[in-house]
Amino acid sequence: MNTLLIGFLIGGAFGAILYMGGATSYRRILGTLLLKDMWIIKLMCTAIGVGTLGIYLLDLGGLANLSIKPAYLGGVALGGVIFGIGWAVSGYCPGTCVVGAAEGKFDAIFTVVGGLVGALIFAFMFPTLEAWLIEPFNFGAVTIQELIGINAVYLAVPFSLLLLSMAFFILKDRYE
Amino acid sequence: MKQNEAIISWKIAGLALGLLLTLATFLVKPLGVSAQFVVTDAIAVHAVAPAAAENNAYLAKYGAKDGWSIGYGWMLVVGMFAGGFITSRLLRAKQPEADKGSMPPMWAAVFGDSRKKRFIAAFFGGVLLLFGARLAGGCTSGHMISGMSQLALSSFVFGVFTFGAAILAAHILYRKRG
Repeated sequence: MNTLLIGFLIGGAFGAILYMGGATSYRRILGTLLLKDMWIIKLMCTAIGVGTLGIYLLDLGGLANLSIKPAYLGGVALGGVIFGIGWAVSGYCPGTCVVGAAEGKFDAIFTVVGGLVGALIFAFMFPTLEAWLIEPFNFGAVTIQELIGINAVYLAVPFSLLLLSMAFFILKDRYE
Repeated sequence: MKQNEAIISWKIAGLALGLLLTLATFLVKPLGVSAQFVVTDAIAVHAVAPAAAENNAYLAKYGAKDGWSIGYGWMLVVGMFAGGFITSRLLRAKQPEADKGSMPPMWAAVFGDSRKKRFIAAFFGGVLLLFGARLAGGCTSGHMISGMSQLALSSFVFGVFTFGAAILAAHILYRKRG
């Protein structure tokens, strides 16, 4: 099958899951960040828990097309901080603003347009940022198991079980 | 309490997303969204001023990959829009009232119901989101969900700093209402 069509179908399922699962909901995103409504974090823990096991098993069979991002600590940490502020201010992330825009939410459309501007600003600042934040402290595309030198099974299985038990047993909503 | 739920539970949505990530990793590669904002910028700049796009190292890196045209990742984001569009038209009656519309009630309760104010915040939030995501090399989907599922060091670093900053920023924004 054509890769463009595969992309469209996988994206279609992704968008449908985010919409139906309430991931485009402002009150759920902010509720999670205010540590009151655990819906989004439980959804993410379940997804990562299942994904970790799934990808581990695929990789075991030599069937995984992995894509490990490089660990340049300065840029990843500062980028994470800037991203986190944008997340709290808009109530969306880059994927959910696209789905929110599809729902017809005008605030999500503004976030998409802001995102296009933010990505363009980054593109023009890239040469400077690369020298200061991307090239230094770059540990490359490394996984935790490579870093500490153990077999992936000893990490993937406990990590997956930890996330699933957080989602199903540990995390609780707290409303006053 | 049905009103406060969503159309499907976090359990079903989380399981489906984990399986979809596994399927995508098997067929093509893990899920990711934020790079496609750069691809969109690259195609748009290239259409208006080809030399400007080609001379920008970052736009050229993402734009030239698919010949200044769309590829798999871009179609994935178009698919997300289509998936959200179709399901939201079909299932709107089941969506909780609090999650509908362009003015979240939770925002309006603290910042007032000025649409202009909400849209300005949404716009600048978007600027920060994509600037941060591109600096870090990914967003919630590519870094947190796909990256942590592959046990990538950089994605754990991203997750810690993103949640730390987002939790702090949310508490500052909503400090009066705690």
